[in-house]
Amino acid sequence: MTSLYLRWGGLLIVAVGLSVLTYNHYQQHLSTVSPHQMKEQAPRQEIRLFGMVRGGTLEGKVKAGDATFELMGNDTSVTVHYQGPPPDNLRELKTLILIGKWNPSDNIFEARDIGLITNYGFVIGAYLIGLIPLAIFLFAMSRRVGLLYEEIKESKLYQEE
Amino acid sequence: MIIHRVIRKVQRFQGWFGSGAALCLIAGLYIGLVDSPPDYYQGEVVRIMYVHVPLAHTSLFAYIVLSVGSMWYLWKRDPIVDNMCHAVAALGAIFTTLALATGMIWGKPTWNTWWTWDARLTSYSVMLLILISYLMLRTFIDDHEKEARYAAVLAILGLVDLPIIHFSVEWWRTLHQPQSFSMRGVSMSSEILIPLMCMSIGMSLLFSYMLMVRTQLLYLDRLLHAKKGRLLSQFHMSQSDS
Repeated sequence: MTSLYLRWGGLLIVAVGLSVLTYNHYQQHLSTVSPHQMKEQAPRQEIRLFGMVRGGTLEGKVKAGDATFELMGNDTSVTVHYQGPPPDNLRELKTLILIGKWNPSDNIFEARDIGLITNYGFVIGAYLIGLIPLAIFLFAMSRRVGLLYEEIKESKLYQEE
Repeated sequence: MIIHRVIRKVQRFQGWFGSGAALCLIAGLYIGLVDSPPDYYQGEVVRIMYVHVPLAHTSLFAYIVLSVGSMWYLWKRDPIVDNMCHAVAALGAIFTTLALATGMIWGKPTWNTWWTWDARLTSYSVMLLILISYLMLRTFIDDHEKEARYAAVLAILGLVDLPIIHFSVEWWRTLHQPQSFSMRGVSMSSEILIPLMCMSIGMSLLFSYMLMVRTQLLYLDRLLHAKKGRLLSQFHMSQSDS
């Protein structure tokens, strides 16, 4: 039985490691900030800005991928200059994730791309529901096999008739 | 008998199946969750495919094993094969339930509904009902011989559902997307295919490993019951003699 617990302990450690890697990946590549957080933190590196295009502010050649508008979020708005691939989902009152850099000198967010809105909760839910019951079931079965072997050995039931 | 020798030989590699499953699943999880890019249309939700599709494939494979084993049992009346069928039905039911659950989670952000009476989803749920009926039959009939025979017949009758599940996306207009693997080729990019293959191989190995453990468990359980029963009857006989 000790080897069983050791094996499962090892697997648990690997699972925790993988979860940490996934969480870090999410934080680095998929997490978003609101206009309010961006103004507070004033980040220098590229960020993913999450908010809604304010109605009546969208100007420029939208179809050509060159537009200026205001992005709202948490009662704060920020002016965005988008210059990138022609967008198919940039319109007024649309909730978006913009990838780009904040320029504090002229208070403009320079966006170079529009990202997909992440549904990470569904992904985490599916993986937890898909894998944890299998692991628990397998552990319970392996443990029961070990216990049955021990019971048979101890009760001396397994002997020649 | 040949089947006994095959089962014993395969059982010897049980550890390899377990280790192989762990390695493939860890690699698949890493590539699927961290390394692979999001899909252009589905976004991050595509990552659910790396767990849903392998679970669904494995559950179908489990049902094929169950029905072939049941045919073999009806032909040869081999108790070891019957034991394996009993084990595979429980595992099949678990894999089917989990595939349905993960499919529902994928359906909500993609189709905007948890469930729809789509041909693929309905025929797949019928398979779960057949597996549950199989397990109920095995639980509620006292005569072991009858229990095994009736269950084997049910499993073979249920085989009708398998082609319906497979071809449902072609026979009817369904919400479920058509097959990605077909005679016409593979209709997905390598960035999605690699984690999917890793997870599918890992899940198949995991299923094989779990099948070995469960078959062993059922065998030991029956052995213990039979031995205890025999000891008890010996004790009663000695009591009545004295």
